[in-house]
Amino acid sequence: MEVVQKYNEEELVLLLQRQDQQAFAYLYDNYAPALNGVIFRLVEDKALSEDILQEAFLKIWNNFTSYDKSKGRLFTWMMNLTRNLTIDTLRSKGYKKQTKISGDENSVNNLQDNNSGVEKFDAMGIRKQLTNLKADQRLVIDLAYFYGLTQDEIAKEIGIPLGTVKTRMRTAILELRKMLQYS
Amino acid sequence: MEIKDIISSGLLELYAAGLTTDKETNEVAQWLAQYPEVAAEFNVITACIEEYAKGHAVIPSPSVKEKLFAYINQDANNKVVPLSYKETNKVLSLNTVPSFWRMVAAASVLLLIGSVALNIFTYNKYNEAGNDLVATKETLNALQEKNKITEEGMSVVQNKYSVPVSLNGLEAAPDAAAKVFWMKNTGEVFIDASNLPDAPQGKQYQLWGIVDGKPVDGGMILTSKKGDKYRIQKMKNFGKADAFAVTLEPEKGNPTPQGPMYVMGKM
Repeated sequence: MEVVQKYNEEELVLLLQRQDQQAFAYLYDNYAPALNGVIFRLVEDKALSEDILQEAFLKIWNNFTSYDKSKGRLFTWMMNLTRNLTIDTLRSKGYKKQTKISGDENSVNNLQDNNSGVEKFDAMGIRKQLTNLKADQRLVIDLAYFYGLTQDEIAKEIGIPLGTVKTRMRTAILELRKMLQYS
Repeated sequence: MEIKDIISSGLLELYAAGLTTDKETNEVAQWLAQYPEVAAEFNVITACIEEYAKGHAVIPSPSVKEKLFAYINQDANNKVVPLSYKETNKVLSLNTVPSFWRMVAAASVLLLIGSVALNIFTYNKYNEAGNDLVATKETLNALQEKNKITEEGMSVVQNKYSVPVSLNGLEAAPDAAAKVFWMKNTGEVFIDASNLPDAPQGKQYQLWGIVDGKPVDGGMILTSKKGDKYRIQKMKNFGKADAFAVTLEPEKGNPTPQGPMYVMGKM
């Protein structure tokens, strides 16, 4: 049986800066499903999603020195990198950015329908908690973090003034925190 | 902006998504570095988003990881990323640019060392030249002074009104000699004392003019100055004199001659 080495984020970053393959394998095992989820939300195609995932991890591996830990946690950097790569890929392939999501759509259930692998993932507890999040709060989070819309685009998509995007974001994240039991 | 206003602004949430404008991005980065409370809040926000994303995870096929590591190992062996031209270019440029700058840095260091060495060399040369210049100036001054003295002496000797009087050695110093030049137009008196023996410590020669049979003080004579023999020097004026004589007296001289007479000569 394979011995699973555990790293804290600081160790992981140090090892990845030195191109440590074992650390990279750990990084992949821990974050590939979540990042693949980000990509899949945008492309809705399993094969294309996995191609982009592979390219994203290669980018993470080759450009790891450009990660600045003073600017936030590792996952945030990887998520933004992955999302931007996905959007660029969709544009270069002639896709339009998928922004057609309705507020009352239950994306969690959709994902379960689309991918059987999801049910095996150990984040099921979180998933259940997330279903309690109000639809309009989920929407603003999805638009910002998954779809990478600009503040302007988010305002238009939801139909709110540009000035209230920030407060809407704040409220949604606060609600999410309550749900995840962060103080 | 106060810390609580920063936290409640919603900017941190947008920053986590990379959605802030350039101006906002700079502001937030500064707050994160400045305020630990803001950094802690940001950490919670991003942790929530991470959880949220994990809640929407889609497990990829195992083949993705296999292909990924195959590429990485190939990359490690060949130093080539075959995925796309873009990626390859990026890797190449990342590797070549720093090596170019490393060369530039190495060249700069060499130039600096060379420059410092040259400066030290030039500075030493400059110092040497400076010392040489000072020495040359001293020599020149000494020569000019000597020349001036000689010229003065010559002008005395050559003067058409100059009447030379030879003073010959007496008992105290038979080999001693001196010459007095009396200017018959002005009454000025000069003496060439270079053939007098050096005056002993505490003693000095004194010139006397013999006027109407009586010795009259003609002034104190210097025989040497800083090791150099004093040549022709100006003494007190005499309207007339029958003879000149030199005696050895105490340093400040005497109103009448007391010491031994060294030389004497008649007009």
